[in-house]
Amino acid sequence: MKNLKKFLHARESGSIIFLIILYAIVGIINPAFLAPESLMACLNDSVVFTLLAVGIAFVVLTGEIDVSIGAILGLSAAVGATMLRDGSPTIAAILVALVIGAVIGLINGLGVAYLNIPSLIFTLGINGVVRGLIYVYTNGAWVENLPAEYTLAAGNKLVGDLSVFYAVTIVVVLIFHWWTSKTRHGRFFTAVGDNIQGATLVGIPTKKTKVLAYVLCGLFAAAAGMIYTSRIGFITAVAGNGYEMKAIAACVIGGIALTGGQGSLLGAAIGAIIMSSISRILVFMGFSSDYDNSITGIMLIVIVVVTTVAQNRSIVQNRHDVLMARTLNAVKSDEKGGTR
Amino acid sequence: MADSSENRTELLRVSGIRKQFGLNIVLKGIDLSVSSGEVLALIGGNGAGKSTLVKIIMGIYQPDEGKMFLNGEEITAFRPSLSLSKGIYMVPQEPMLFPNMSVEENILAGFSEKHAELHSRLVKIMDDMGWHIDLTRKALSLSIAEQQLVELLRGMMRNAKVLILDEPTSALTFDEVESLFKTVRKLKESGIGIIYITHRLAEVFEIGTNVAIMRDGLITAEGKVEQFTRDQLVKALLPPNMDTLAVREDASSAIDYEHTKPIFRLENFSGYGFENISLEVYPGEILGIAGLVGAGRTELATTIFGRDKVLGGKAYLEDRDVTGLPTQKVIAAGINYVTEDRRLDGLFKISSVAANTTSSLLSGTELGKTVLNKKKETEITLKYIREFKTKATSEEQEAGSLSGGNQQKIVIGRALATNPKLVILDEPTRGIDAAARGDVYNIILGLKKQGVAIMLISSDMEEIVELSDRAVVMYQGHEKGTLQKKEINPTSLMNASFDVTDSEAAA
Amino acid sequence: MKKVSFSNGMKKFFTSWEFVLTMILLAEVIIFATKNPKFLMPRVLLGSLNDIMSICYISLFVTFVMVTGGIDIQAGSIVGLTSIVIGVAWQDGGMNIWTAALLAILISALCGAMSGYFVAYCGVQPMVVTLGGSFLFSGIALLVSNLSATESYKGISGFPDSFTQLTKIKLFDVLPLQVIIFLVLAIFANWLLTKTKYGREITLIGVNKQAAEYSGINAKGIEMSAYILSAVSASIAGIILTSYLNTAKSDIGATLTMPIITAVVLGGTLSTGGKGSVAGTALAAIIIGVLKFGLPLCFKVSQQYLDIPVGLVLLAVVITRSVFSNPQVIAKMHRKS
Repeated sequence: MKNLKKFLHARESGSIIFLIILYAIVGIINPAFLAPESLMACLNDSVVFTLLAVGIAFVVLTGEIDVSIGAILGLSAAVGATMLRDGSPTIAAILVALVIGAVIGLINGLGVAYLNIPSLIFTLGINGVVRGLIYVYTNGAWVENLPAEYTLAAGNKLVGDLSVFYAVTIVVVLIFHWWTSKTRHGRFFTAVGDNIQGATLVGIPTKKTKVLAYVLCGLFAAAAGMIYTSRIGFITAVAGNGYEMKAIAACVIGGIALTGGQGSLLGAAIGAIIMSSISRILVFMGFSSDYDNSITGIMLIVIVVVTTVAQNRSIVQNRHDVLMARTLNAVKSDEKGGTR
Repeated sequence: MADSSENRTELLRVSGIRKQFGLNIVLKGIDLSVSSGEVLALIGGNGAGKSTLVKIIMGIYQPDEGKMFLNGEEITAFRPSLSLSKGIYMVPQEPMLFPNMSVEENILAGFSEKHAELHSRLVKIMDDMGWHIDLTRKALSLSIAEQQLVELLRGMMRNAKVLILDEPTSALTFDEVESLFKTVRKLKESGIGIIYITHRLAEVFEIGTNVAIMRDGLITAEGKVEQFTRDQLVKALLPPNMDTLAVREDASSAIDYEHTKPIFRLENFSGYGFENISLEVYPGEILGIAGLVGAGRTELATTIFGRDKVLGGKAYLEDRDVTGLPTQKVIAAGINYVTEDRRLDGLFKISSVAANTTSSLLSGTELGKTVLNKKKETEITLKYIREFKTKATSEEQEAGSLSGGNQQKIVIGRALATNPKLVILDEPTRGIDAAARGDVYNIILGLKKQGVAIMLISSDMEEIVELSDRAVVMYQGHEKGTLQKKEINPTSLMNASFDVTDSEAAA
Repeated sequence: MKKVSFSNGMKKFFTSWEFVLTMILLAEVIIFATKNPKFLMPRVLLGSLNDIMSICYISLFVTFVMVTGGIDIQAGSIVGLTSIVIGVAWQDGGMNIWTAALLAILISALCGAMSGYFVAYCGVQPMVVTLGGSFLFSGIALLVSNLSATESYKGISGFPDSFTQLTKIKLFDVLPLQVIIFLVLAIFANWLLTKTKYGREITLIGVNKQAAEYSGINAKGIEMSAYILSAVSASIAGIILTSYLNTAKSDIGATLTMPIITAVVLGGTLSTGGKGSVAGTALAAIIIGVLKFGLPLCFKVSQQYLDIPVGLVLLAVVITRSVFSNPQVIAKMHRKS
C-alpha cells in the first residue's frame, strides 16, 4: 500500500497514467492502434526524442536549460555521417560523434557553472555557433550515400517488433534513471536543482554536477544524432532544427519542472513517447497530422497550468492549515504550545 | 560534569582571518577558538561579519588570509565537504532544505552509509530529543521552526564535533526555544563545542559559557560570560564615541482618550492565523502589538493590508469600512504597512533609492497621470533622505548597496510617502545597528507628533515598553489583553505573551 | 549628497551599455564601409534593414516581458498566425484587407493575453507557457491555412496595392516606411519603459514582485499586459512582413525566436528581470542586422554561416559582462589603480 501511495505521488506517474489512458481512448476509437506492431511502432519512432529528452533532463533537473541540443544532434550527426560515407568503421564514427557531443556539452557546462552565465543565454549563443559550424562542415550540402548496413540497422528488430535501437535505449534509460534516483551521486542533480545553496551546505559539488549534466546532455544528443542518421539515412544542414523545444516539451509532459529539482529521467522518456505518438494517434483517429503542433501545445499548456495551480494551491492550503492550527491550539492553552 | 576549563580540549581555532568581497572588507583579522563543552556566544550588529566568518569555517567561502585549525591540525582547503568530514556543521539562519524532498531525504542527503542503518540512527536521535516530525513530509510544507529542527537533526546525524548555530531562535516560539536550549545543553555536556550566534543578549547569559563580540570585522571583546554585564556587552557592540542612542524626545503628549475618537478599529477581526481580534488605535498613538513569533501579528497586519483573505469581522478606518479591500485600495484609503522582512518583500534591491521610496505612489496621482514626474519623485525622495538622515550618495544609488539600517529607512519612507492615517510597522528595527535604531525611534516619535496612528509590531520587549502608549498582546492568534501605559513593563508583557494569567503569575 | 547634474548625466551615458553598443555599431559600419564603400549607400544600407524588421519590432516589446523577469518564445508563431489570418480572411473570407489586419491584431492580443494570464495569475513559468503557446499558435496557423483554397505550402499572395505599398513607400526616396515605423516604435517603447509610471511598474515587478504587490501595484495585471504588448508587436511585424513579401504563410515567423532573444539580451536586459533597456535592444537589433548584411556584402561570408558571428558576439558580450561584474575582478582592478 505504501509503495502504491509512493507511486501515485511520483511526478512521472501522472504521465504514465496519462499515456495509458490516452492509448486506451485511441484504442477504443480504433482498435488497430493497439495492435502489437502499432504499439511497437510508437516506441520505435520515439527513440530519437527519448534520447534527447532524457539527455536534457539531466540539465533541467539541475535547474538549468540547454537550447543547443538540436544543433549538437545536427553537428555530431553530420560529422559521423560524413565519416561513414567516407568509409570509416562504424565504431569510429559513433565515437567521434559522441566526443563532439561531450565536448560541446563540456563547454556549455563550464560557461554556465563556472562563468555564471545564465544557461538560456549561453546555450543560445553556442546554438548559433554550432548551427553555423554545421554549414561550414557540410558546405550546405547533404550528407548522403551512407553504407546500407548502417541505415538498415534502424529496421533491425530485437524481439518481435521492438527495434534494437529502442531496446538498447530502454536499457540505457532505465540504468540512468536508477542511477539518478537511487544512488548518492546520481541524486546530486535533483538536489542541486531543488536548492543549490542547501546542496553546497551538505557538501555536494554543485558546479561539477552541473558540468556533468551538460556533458551527459551532449552525449545523449550525439547518440540521438547517430540513431537519427540511421533512421533517416541522410543528414541535411538543418537536421535537428527545433528539436530542443520538443525535448523540453517532452520533459514537461513527463513531469519534470523547469525550475529544477522535480521529476525523473523515466518521466522524460514517457513524455517523449507521448509527444512522438501524437502524429500516429492523429492518423489513427482519422485526423490530419496538421493537428500535431496544436495538440502538443494544448497538452503542454494544460499539463503545466494544472500542475502549477495544483501545487500552488496545496502550498497555500498548507500554510493556511498551519496558521489555523495555531489559533485553535490556543483554546487548549494547557497543552504544550508551539507548532504541531 | 565538572566545568574545569583546563580539561577542555581546543576543538577549533581560527587566526588572522581576513575576507573581502569586492571593495567591501568584511573580516579584518579574526582570532577565535572553541573548546569542547563550550558554548561560544558570538554577538555583533549587522554587517559585523558573523555570518561570513562561520561560512568560512564551514568551507563555503575561502578566506583571503588566515588559518584554521581543527584539533590542532591545520586545515589547508576550504570546502564544505572537507569541513563536514572534519566534524563541523552549521545550522544556517535560514534553513536551506530541499523543498521537494522528504524530511528524511533532507536529513540523510550526502550520507554514504546504508539507508537502513542511517534510518534507525535518526529515529533514535529523535526519540532521545523528544522531537516528533513526520519523516515522509515534503520539506516545503514545514514551518520555519520545523525546518530548523530538520537542520539540527542533520548536524546531529553527522556527529558534529563543532556545531554552529546561526541565530537559531529567530523564528521559534517559546516552547521551541526551551526545547532548543535543552538540546544545546545536552550537546554541550557530551563534549561538543558550539558557536552560537545571536542578536539577543538575554540568550548569551542563559546559554553561553563564553562570549565574543564582533564589530566591523574585528573582535572587540571576549571572555567568559560570567565576566560580563549586560551594559558591558552593549558598550562593546556600539561604535566608540557614540552618544549612547540619540536623545529621545520625551513623548509626554499624553493622548486624550476621553475626547478623541479612534481612527482605526477592528471588530472581531478573523483571518488565517488569528481570531476575533478587536482593538482600537487613536490618532497620535503608538499601539504596541506584542507577542511571540507565531502569535499571528504579521498575519493580522497583512490581512488588514489586503494580502490575505478575511475570514470574519470588520475593519474601519475613520468609520469607513476597509474590510477585505485589495492592497491598492487600502493604501488609497490611508493605511500603509512596512513589511517584516525587507529583503524578501520590502526592498527593490537593484532599483534606486528614489524608485524604492516612491513605489507606493505609483497607483495614485501624485507622480502624474501617465508620465512619471521625476522631479516630484526626486523631491519626495530627498525629503525623506534628509528627514531620516539616510546615508546614501544620491537618490540614484542602488538600494541594495546601502546598509541594513538605511535600507529600513527607505522602506519606512515609502510607507509614509502616501501620507497614511495609520501606519503598521512590523519589526522595524530588526537586523539594524544601534545608531539606525535610534534614528528609527525618532522617526516613529515624529510621526506620533504629527497625529499619525501607529501600530508597532515588535518582538523586542524593550522596544514596546519604550515606545508604546498602549499595548495589545497576542498569543496564538488571540488577543490576550490590552495594557495601558503604566501597566506596560517587560514582566507584564512577558506574562501576557506566554498566556500566563495574573493568578498563575502570582503563584 | 550631490544632486544628479548634467555632467553626471553625460558621465552616465558614457559608462553605460548603450554607449558600448553605439561604439560597436560604429565600428561595424566603419569596418564594412572601408571594405566595401557600397555598404554606405543609403539605399543599400537602409534597404538591408528590411530583412530584420520583424526582429527589430518584436524585440522592442519582448524587452518589456523580460524586464518583468519572464520570457516570450511564442512571438515567432504569432507572426505566422497573423500572416495567415490576413491571407485567409482577405482571400477566402472576402474581408477588407485592413479589417483582416485588425482582426489579426486582435487575435494576437488574445494569444498574448492567454499566455500572460497563465504567467501572471496562475504563476506558471513563462518559458513553458510560451513554449506551449508557440506550438499551439503555429498549429492553429497551419489549420487556418488549411481553410484556404490555396495549398498551405504555396502561400496566399496577390494582395491589393494599398497593402503592399506599405513596404514600398520610401521617404525621401531612401528611408523605407518600415524603418520609420521601427523608429517610431522604438521611441514609443523607450518612452513607455523609461518615462511612464507603467514602465516603472514593469521594472519594479521584475525586481521584486512581492514588494511591488505590497506597494499597491497591480502586479498581476501589468505583468499580463507585457505579454499582450509583445504579441501585438509580433502581429505588427507579421503585417509588415506579409506586405513586404506579398505572401501570407503560416510559418513565416518560424526562425525568429532565437534572434529576438539574442537582441534583447545583447541590448543589456538582464534575463533575471528588473533591468532592461529598449534603446539597448534597438541598437542590438540593428547591430545584428548590420552584421548579417555587412558580412556577406563585404567579406563574402555565405548567408548560412551568419549564425556563427551572431552567436559569437552574444557569447563574447555575455562572458565579458560576467567577468567584469565578478566581485573579485572588481577588487583586483581597484587594487591596481
